[in-house]
Amino acid sequence: MFESLFHALPVALQPDSLLSLVVGTLAGILIGALPGLNPVMAIALMLPLTYGFDPIIALGLVAGIYNGSMYGGAIPAILLKIPGTPAAIATTFDGYPMTRNGQGGLALKTACWSSAVGGVVSALALMTLAPLLAKVTLAFGPAEYFWVAVFGLTSIAVLVGKDLSKGILSALLGVIVGLVGIDTLSGEERYTFGSLYLVGGFDLIIVLIGLYAIPPILEMAEKRNESYFNADSFRVSAVAGGLGLLRNYWRTWSRSSLIGVCVGILPGAGGNLAALLSYNEAKRRAPDPDSFGKGNPVGIAAAESGNSADNASAMIPSLTLGIPGNLVAALVLGALMIHGLQPGPQLFTKSPDVVFGFMWQMLLTAMLLFVLGGMVATRLFAQVLRLPTALLVPTTLVLMAIGVYTVNGNVVDLYVMLAFGLVGYLLDRLEFPLAPVVLGVLLGPMAEQNFRLAMLISQNDASVLFTRPISQGIIALLLIVLLSQLWKYHRRNARSSAAPPSGSA
Amino acid sequence: MKQYMLIGALAAATAASTPAMADDYPNRPIEIIVPAPAGGGTDAVARMLNQYLEEELGQSAAVLNVAGGGGAIGVNQLARTKPDGYTLLSTWNSPITTVPHMQRVQYSYDTLTPIISTSQSAYTMCVSPDFPADNGEEFIAELQANPGHYTYGNDGVGGTMRLAAERIFAAFEIDARPIPFGGAGETLQNFLGGHVDIYGGSITPVLPYVEEGQAKCLLVTSAAPNEALPQASGLEELGHPELETVLWRMMLAPEGLDEERATFIADAVERAVQYPEFQEFLAGQGETLNLVRGEALRERLRQESEAIGEVLDNLGLKKH
Repeated sequence: MFESLFHALPVALQPDSLLSLVVGTLAGILIGALPGLNPVMAIALMLPLTYGFDPIIALGLVAGIYNGSMYGGAIPAILLKIPGTPAAIATTFDGYPMTRNGQGGLALKTACWSSAVGGVVSALALMTLAPLLAKVTLAFGPAEYFWVAVFGLTSIAVLVGKDLSKGILSALLGVIVGLVGIDTLSGEERYTFGSLYLVGGFDLIIVLIGLYAIPPILEMAEKRNESYFNADSFRVSAVAGGLGLLRNYWRTWSRSSLIGVCVGILPGAGGNLAALLSYNEAKRRAPDPDSFGKGNPVGIAAAESGNSADNASAMIPSLTLGIPGNLVAALVLGALMIHGLQPGPQLFTKSPDVVFGFMWQMLLTAMLLFVLGGMVATRLFAQVLRLPTALLVPTTLVLMAIGVYTVNGNVVDLYVMLAFGLVGYLLDRLEFPLAPVVLGVLLGPMAEQNFRLAMLISQNDASVLFTRPISQGIIALLLIVLLSQLWKYHRRNARSSAAPPSGSA
Repeated sequence: MKQYMLIGALAAATAASTPAMADDYPNRPIEIIVPAPAGGGTDAVARMLNQYLEEELGQSAAVLNVAGGGGAIGVNQLARTKPDGYTLLSTWNSPITTVPHMQRVQYSYDTLTPIISTSQSAYTMCVSPDFPADNGEEFIAELQANPGHYTYGNDGVGGTMRLAAERIFAAFEIDARPIPFGGAGETLQNFLGGHVDIYGGSITPVLPYVEEGQAKCLLVTSAAPNEALPQASGLEELGHPELETVLWRMMLAPEGLDEERATFIADAVERAVQYPEFQEFLAGQGETLNLVRGEALRERLRQESEAIGEVLDNLGLKKH
């Protein structure tokens, strides 16, 4: 296997492959950075144009757009609090406060390096462990998926902030939004109120753009008269170099990359979840968890290395089993089939140069981020903040509207986006945390569906949830996280009751 | 002057080759609604066909993805447009023959103009190598002998694969337990992981596992057997060719498109599908050509819609 791996390296290093990687990565950063435009759409539109070329060129573009957009999504997340892609939601938590504190340059650099590191780790996992990890994918049945979703939901406890009840209400709002539409198990309509539009359910991306991107825009418009940004903080060169970052973040990077890779091999989970779980774990482990959400660069490092580490590993079930882990992976499968390559176990023996070449390309684009992300993109995009608010607000709104419209070609989607924007704005004003909403939308239905599938298969024998070793492992992890969290609460309460509250508390 | 003559000659040649065309249709770009999101199988086939269709129509054609509601939203949108041949629908069968039984929609096979069907592919049912059956007949017998025992993964309530299976199971009085997944990928994952007993889905994804000996496919949902799966019986062989339920694709237009234009489009599609590149692409997707035009196409839609309505009624899923 390693022989074929190295045999494919020259293929990936051909000039036309390299060119497609550079073009793809730059395009990816741009697409990721524009809220609303998403990499799936870009790749779907671009692939038909490459059918005439060598497959390695098409795959180079895909690899570039895919990895580039993961970092690109972080740019508006940090500068404007607007996640460029749904996976960048967790990046806003600390990225934007850093910008307000005048550390935007450091935040962008951290995001760029973290994305690159996550991407490299993930690509290495793809290259060396793919067949092994594919076996893990298959071991996950509905019961295991149920526990993964429950595990993700427990992280709400860490993300809620001060008021637990508000956090739970936010999460439940997300769950209700996720339930709208036809229930795939029974065929019944839920919460559709006789509306044809609601029958299909809400599109995740539209809900997320509305909830997470519109409130910051409204906030920007409100503060138009204040000097909102300090553009001088974006002199990227003023920020300390890579080795310093490495020393500070290597623990976070390795933990988050591991989480990203694990989430990636499970079809259907996604970079979104990887970023939130990584953020969560970083916050839980930190000596100063209270500094998260106020501009702690470790939060960015965790979120960005987590979501980028999801990328290449999501290709594992796709390339080894022919089971696409996400929409981009499905497009890659389509591209391979158009070139007469059948995805699945024989792909590695029948066309090793293409499949291993693609793995190298995933590695190379991740490495390109060090260069392109830092030098070109970051400098360029930081200039955005020099635009007057009166220009920035409408431009961003229009771009988002275009992006949302292209998802389904349906004007109603735009109203839905605006409605969720208002909901998000109200929640923000009432100090409800927004992060649990996305977990509810993603994980509520995932937990429900898989629980019911597991019950269908076992004919309502609930023991199936507890008897399988992987489930037991996840339950153990879940208990550790919950108990340690409770222990912290307990200690904090004990401490505050032991020492009578001082004036400042 | 020379240029004018050339154009004149070209115009004369075009007129001669399509004598039936009285007007100059198409004289502006055409919009093709695909009722599925960008990047899926339906979208891929539609975009691929579109490349060659543009050449045959002599006009550019833009694909517009209008996803949602199992395809109903896109078809609703088409049904409301002007029947002038400038807005067409490129769809698979479920939004026309299945979805109207389950949801409120603003169209039916009767109120759309049928143009031409293009390609189709059967579904298959596969089991692990140690399953006690080696052909369609034994497979059916094993399922009959063990009611309520075996689980089969499928593409969900109202999914075409599920309906194909239910039709067959009803005819043979089989009681197998359906486990609805999101599609063939998820079904394959759960089948290979041993979480369900039977794979029910399209042929292409499971093919490599058949070649590797990790799966044996014993049934296809078309009347004829499939070359790629020699072990699998077709429905003809099992004595029920009328149960054929497959995935197929077609081009439709809003109600009231005049026949000349419909014929013009059907001719163009018929030429476009003959490009070797397109045929190669179809083969890779496991699909074969099946060209049915005009009223014959409407009849095919009617028959399928009625058969599926009956199955859904038996399953308690028919609402409209």
